[in-house]
Amino acid sequence: MFNKIKGNFNTQTWVLIPIAIAINIAVGQIVVLLKLPVYLDSIGTVLVAVLCGPWAGALTGALTNIIWGLAIDPNALPWWPVAFFIGYMAGRMAQWGFFKSWWKVAVTGFVVALTAAVVSTPIAVYIYGGITASGSSFITAYLLQTGQGIWQAVFSTGFLVEPVDKITTAMIAFAIILGLPKRTVGGYPKPEQVEVEGGSKNELYIALGVVVLLILIAAFVLRGILGG
Amino acid sequence: MPERLSFHIKRDSALHHLNPLTKLLLVLTLILTAFLAPFYWTPHILAVLFIPLLSMLGKVGREYFSTAIRLILPAATFLFAMQAFFQPVGEEIIFEFYFLDITRESFLFAFSNAMRIVVMVSAFTIFLLTTHPSELMSDLTRRGLPGQFAYVIISTLQILPQMQAKAQTIISAQRSRGLETEGGFFKRAGALVPLIGPLVFGSLVEVEERAIAIEARGFTSKHVKTSLHEIPDTSTDKLLRWFLTALILASIGLRIWLS
Amino acid sequence: MAFVNFQNVTYKYPLTKTPVLKNINLQVNEGEFIAVMGPNGAGKSTLCYALAGFVPHFFKGEISGEIEVDGKKSSESTLDEWVLNVGLAFQNPFNQISGAKYTVFEEIAFGLENIGVPRNEMKDRVDEAMALTGIRDLADRSPYSLSGGQQQRVALTSILVMRPRLLVLDEPTSQMDPIGTREVFGVVRKMAEEGMTVVMVEHKVEWIAHFADRVIALNEGQVLMEGKPNEVLTADLLPEKGFGISRYTSVARQAQQQGLWKQKQLPVTLFEAAEGFTSKGGGGSN
Repeated sequence: MFNKIKGNFNTQTWVLIPIAIAINIAVGQIVVLLKLPVYLDSIGTVLVAVLCGPWAGALTGALTNIIWGLAIDPNALPWWPVAFFIGYMAGRMAQWGFFKSWWKVAVTGFVVALTAAVVSTPIAVYIYGGITASGSSFITAYLLQTGQGIWQAVFSTGFLVEPVDKITTAMIAFAIILGLPKRTVGGYPKPEQVEVEGGSKNELYIALGVVVLLILIAAFVLRGILGG
Repeated sequence: MPERLSFHIKRDSALHHLNPLTKLLLVLTLILTAFLAPFYWTPHILAVLFIPLLSMLGKVGREYFSTAIRLILPAATFLFAMQAFFQPVGEEIIFEFYFLDITRESFLFAFSNAMRIVVMVSAFTIFLLTTHPSELMSDLTRRGLPGQFAYVIISTLQILPQMQAKAQTIISAQRSRGLETEGGFFKRAGALVPLIGPLVFGSLVEVEERAIAIEARGFTSKHVKTSLHEIPDTSTDKLLRWFLTALILASIGLRIWLS
Repeated sequence: MAFVNFQNVTYKYPLTKTPVLKNINLQVNEGEFIAVMGPNGAGKSTLCYALAGFVPHFFKGEISGEIEVDGKKSSESTLDEWVLNVGLAFQNPFNQISGAKYTVFEEIAFGLENIGVPRNEMKDRVDEAMALTGIRDLADRSPYSLSGGQQQRVALTSILVMRPRLLVLDEPTSQMDPIGTREVFGVVRKMAEEGMTVVMVEHKVEWIAHFADRVIALNEGQVLMEGKPNEVLTADLLPEKGFGISRYTSVARQAQQQGLWKQKQLPVTLFEAAEGFTSKGGGGSN
């Protein structure tokens, strides 16, 4: 176990982590500026996770929220376990070979999203009583008004919000890795995890199709709830 | 461009002279007490009375209050409003606004919850105002934290402002080339790629050379590391840490006993 | 036995087809100051990485032949041991800032902290190294607030402070003005005289001519020429192979064809050129 953790970290990992954290925060802020309905604040975490391993990804995620919370926005702080598991799960998925083509990356994004929804639920319930400072809490509030239990309402919100965000995040991370020089990738602990297989353009379209479909389903479900 | 991301204010105060670990434990004690103490008014007293006094003890009162007004209060107010309106608890409605209403219970819950958040953030703010990041890291490294963690934390604090400045430059450069950062959803989503690309690739390509540079300076050396700065750890510090640990245990114990 | 010894070293980066270093044989004596020059893609930086242990330990790839420094074989050593003996500073100063420190003084101490030098000795050594490279006045500045030239000096000092037996420098003055360049060459010369062995990649031929003991001309991964600075730097072969040469050499070569340069040896520096043109004698000025 200890040696496995150690295998995630070489000098390039240690140099990459601060850059990844800065990417998380800077891109997260650009997205807010563009008023897009996603967070995209884990691109760096996913990059570290797939290039270096789950433990390096987990560390990057946790440190992102801790530093973000302490230096910029206090509301980011309590969510560090969510970021931890996003990194861990992305790393595990990559280990299982799910970061080698567009549709597999989309699957990784979806699994990571589920993880995030599960881990964030108790934090939202225990620390914030279900209503957090995030905009998505309007959905939770609505679900609560319709008489749903607090756990159910919070988890449903996470399940609605997370997939679009995390699938997009994973795909951006994949696009970045495809754009990096091979030699640069080769220096990280797990370059074999991102060796692209197949690589036809069609796959990208299938993956994008999956994302659009998910957005539509989410929107439909949401309308159903709000309309009902 | 800011050279670094640090709240630290160099002053000569009792708080500044405390060992960083002692201060960290003080922060932890405040947070745990605010969340765990079974008395309703505990977080309020901590937030309104104890923390301001602490900031003055650290001679950073002015800086603390300005941070509190600019950052902490707005965040806490927003959280308070969200929870007061949307917590579905209680019967007795004390305030109505169209379809929104606040009950006595949701008001009290939201108020104490907001105060807890204020305590948490304020405690950290005072800690950061009176502790230099490299001082904290040197001390934790001396106590056995792997040196690589110190490297990660400090270099993040230095890279982040640079990256934010770079993001600003890229945004204004792309805007001047006619990139739409306002407008419809798809326009804004389309703007993302030309913004993120240059920001990310430049810094990722640097990784290899930066790794070489620190390895050339013994980053992976198996020697026991030493530290340039000596971080004082007095007997007062040790005594205070015992006291704080006792307080934490007491509030946990009280919580379990009374519930 | 030479202090640095390359025997038939051939090296290929991973995922590439052609070797960057081809059958390099190279000997450097202790305390010698060697300058390496060559056109882009000649393998200069790779040679530096090989000396400093990063080829092959950091980059992996395929290597054959043997690299020895101070009697130790690179193939039998690890990178963290190797860097204790061999210091490396390279071109881009920004990437050489550790990022882990807030002041120049702390930045220079970073390497010493890593290898466990006691606190008092550390302070003395940092002070001494900063005095040597003339950056004492920068001690309390943030490394990120400095100019490129100042950062290069900090990078050089950060390596010098570790007191390597072999100092490898890859274009360490690329962002410096002539005054800074002169000072750096002066420092390096002084270190060599005190017994440090120096291998420095550099384009600034006039400075090489003035300071280096020997020049190695590298081309397409092979040693094209080596010898005394003025022999190598004035060789007819260099401009043909795309090496940058001194403008004084070019002028004198033209003058030679017109019968105006009467010395045997072509000049590299302004001083040599002026002397050669003004002295009437047919004998060499060198």
